[in-house]
Amino acid sequence: MKRQWDCYATALRMTFVEHLRNRLALVIVVLFIPVWTILIYVLSLEIPLPFHVRAAGRSVTVPANVLNQIGGALQILALITGFMMFVTTMRSASFDRRLVRSGFPQLCLIAAKLTALAVVAVSVALYATGLICLTHRPAQPLLLAAALAGGALIYGGIGIVLAAVLTSDLAGMFLVIVICSADLALQSPLATTAAGSVLVRYLPDFGPMQSAVAAIALDTVPWHAVAPAACWALGTAALGVSAFVSRRGAHQPAGAPVTARP
Amino acid sequence: MPSDEPVLRVRNVRKGYRQVPVLRGVDLALPPGRVAGIVGENGAGKTTLLRVLAGDLRPDGGSVHCGGRIGHCPQETVLHDAFTVEQHLRFFQVAYGLESLRRAEELMEVLRFPARRRARPGTLSGGTRQKLNLVLALMHDPDVLLLDEPYQGFDWETYVRFWDLAEELRARGRSVLVVSHLAYDAGRLDTLHRLEDGVLREQERDAAESGDRVGAP
Repeated sequence: MKRQWDCYATALRMTFVEHLRNRLALVIVVLFIPVWTILIYVLSLEIPLPFHVRAAGRSVTVPANVLNQIGGALQILALITGFMMFVTTMRSASFDRRLVRSGFPQLCLIAAKLTALAVVAVSVALYATGLICLTHRPAQPLLLAAALAGGALIYGGIGIVLAAVLTSDLAGMFLVIVICSADLALQSPLATTAAGSVLVRYLPDFGPMQSAVAAIALDTVPWHAVAPAACWALGTAALGVSAFVSRRGAHQPAGAPVTARP
Repeated sequence: MPSDEPVLRVRNVRKGYRQVPVLRGVDLALPPGRVAGIVGENGAGKTTLLRVLAGDLRPDGGSVHCGGRIGHCPQETVLHDAFTVEQHLRFFQVAYGLESLRRAEELMEVLRFPARRRARPGTLSGGTRQKLNLVLALMHDPDVLLLDEPYQGFDWETYVRFWDLAEELRARGRSVLVVSHLAYDAGRLDTLHRLEDGVLREQERDAAESGDRVGAP
């Protein structure tokens, strides 16, 4: 047990070192999140816009600049966590494989990556929530933070999945941007009439978007949005982990008997 | 005197990629305290064989049994650009479950590793990266060491030190399997095998030396 804990602690420390070495992501977090969330709020129109909080069974009217800000915050957090997880998972693939073959428990590596994902998601979500609170006061700031963290978690998982199937930073980043843009554009009543469609509930950020809008305009928690968000977060994490394991391909530590597949 | 019971035994290993057979039935028995070499032309399947031996690739048929710990030094330096030399050592210390880094320190001294523990691989020369690659494979004092073109980027002095290290390992009963595309080290080996047409054939070392170019790494 002590060995498992040592391995986990070491892997976690190293995973954070990897993330902290990703300077571009840090610059985006520190500089781009405030610029984006504040600018989009200031420069968007304040016209009232109806938004159907399907998960709560209610329609609310929200200023367009607030709605844009929420969508923008979800998008930038999704891009950052997706990018961070994609880059660290892809760049460490060979090294992780060598570590596992040298006896490092794969479970500890996976647990460390998922812990780091959760910490990154919660940190950027709290940061973005704080910035949003500078511009206006949401009805439920904690729910807003949870919604933003949920969106970040989902796209972090997507980043891990993409790292298992793609081989270039550019392709990964491009796909994260495309998926995220389509996801949020289809939910914005400002961008498309599809926002009212029942199909939007199957989009990755449906739960986070519904919860975030509820956090702004309602004083209840839309529990029906939690299930799809949790499914997406757990599903992408599970898919990412299995892709992570299969990509490593090291079925055992070096030195164990090797035979053909039965 | 070490026993002749093989510490690494390979039986009829077969491996192919997309229906193209690369290894067609490789047999090998490596006793303790031996330095063996495998030579072959580019694309002969040397790296594939070593990856199968290291447990990195599953063979299509046959089996590999090792009676001890394996150290594998891959052909390309598998390091992480985000971590310092010190962090690499720490990571592998935990992986191998080592109490201390004493053996790693010794190896670094033998290989004349520059004292830049806080440097990251991206700032090191190719030869120094390869030294670190080798230290990571050796720091747990494995019973069998699998080396794939291990001295790429080494200068002459490091190359000689590498062979001194191989001698020391042999003297302590460790086995070393070196894969290379040239046989210029044949004189330093106990046995030499040629991988040809997907099978291993033991080769006379004199023939190998005269057949392949003799020279520095």
